Amino acid sequence: MDKLAKQLHDDAQRIDASVSDELERRIEASLRAATPELEGSRPAPVTRPPLFWWASTITGVAAAVAVIAIANWRAPDQPAAPPVNIVAAMPSLDLNAETAMLTGPLQQELDRLQSDLKKAEEKVKQEIGL
Amino acid sequence: MSDELKLIAAAKAGSADAFADLVRAYRVRLLRFLLTRSPSYADAEDVLQDTLVAAFRYLHSYDPRWRFSTWLYRIAIRNAAKLRGPELVEIGDLRDQENDPLQQCIADSETENLWVSARQLLNDEVYSAMWLRYAEDMSVNDISRALDRSASWTKVNLMRGRRVLGTHLNSAAQQSEAYG
Repeated sequence: MDKLAKQLHDDAQRIDASVSDELERRIEASLRAATPELEGSRPAPVTRPPLFWWASTITGVAAAVAVIAIANWRAPDQPAAPPVNIVAAMPSLDLNAETAMLTGPLQQELDRLQSDLKKAEEKVKQEIGL
Repeated sequence: MSDELKLIAAAKAGSADAFADLVRAYRVRLLRFLLTRSPSYADAEDVLQDTLVAAFRYLHSYDPRWRFSTWLYRIAIRNAAKLRGPELVEIGDLRDQENDPLQQCIADSETENLWVSARQLLNDEVYSAMWLRYAEDMSVNDISRALDRSASWTKVNLMRGRRVLGTHLNSAAQQSEAYG
């Protein structure tokens, strides 16, 4: 036993507790007044007849069948709606505007290049005296 | 068959005298434990009485594979918890009360009782585990049964309790050295 265990053991023994005569009389009186529950005194668990279990089983199976039937029940087929023409329903796009937006900068660049080319031709002609 | 088992058999048959003889050896030990957990001496006595009556009443449920003291302590711990109720304070907060039965019972002692510190530093369950181990010399398995806890929980919390009290002892020793 280590030091701590020994001290705990000794300190517990140093707690001065005593059962007074009055407490002893109280305990004995209450023990005599108490009625112990005997092992066989507990009411036996209620046993149900086999018919009860059969009835429960049949009820459960019937309920399950009903649930499955309801889940699988379908209403009679409705006449199908005519197909919708998706292309006709779509709004038309202004493709020309889109093309102009895309080719506009290229056209300007082409004009500038052609202008530069003409200027260069004229300059060459002046230099060679044509 | 040991005397204790004979008394248990007689008490199970309904003999209050046999049961009184059976628990005579345990009454002081139980009262000592309950004094450390109750707000007053009278409460500790009431819990002891309730514990013994409950043990007599439900003796048919006692399993002889357990030590009888383990079973008694299990009932006592539950009854003590019921007495204090959820609205009452932890045992550590009993220390300042003038009618603290533990303080009264160790008033004549010259040195500090470590169980007073234990009550302040440990929670209810760890305190009970420490008491059962070191005051009652119960095995870890018996303590687990008394507290309705696993053996591993009991081992871990006994170790924690020891560490807390060991640290407290060391700091107390250093303080006394510092003050000469």
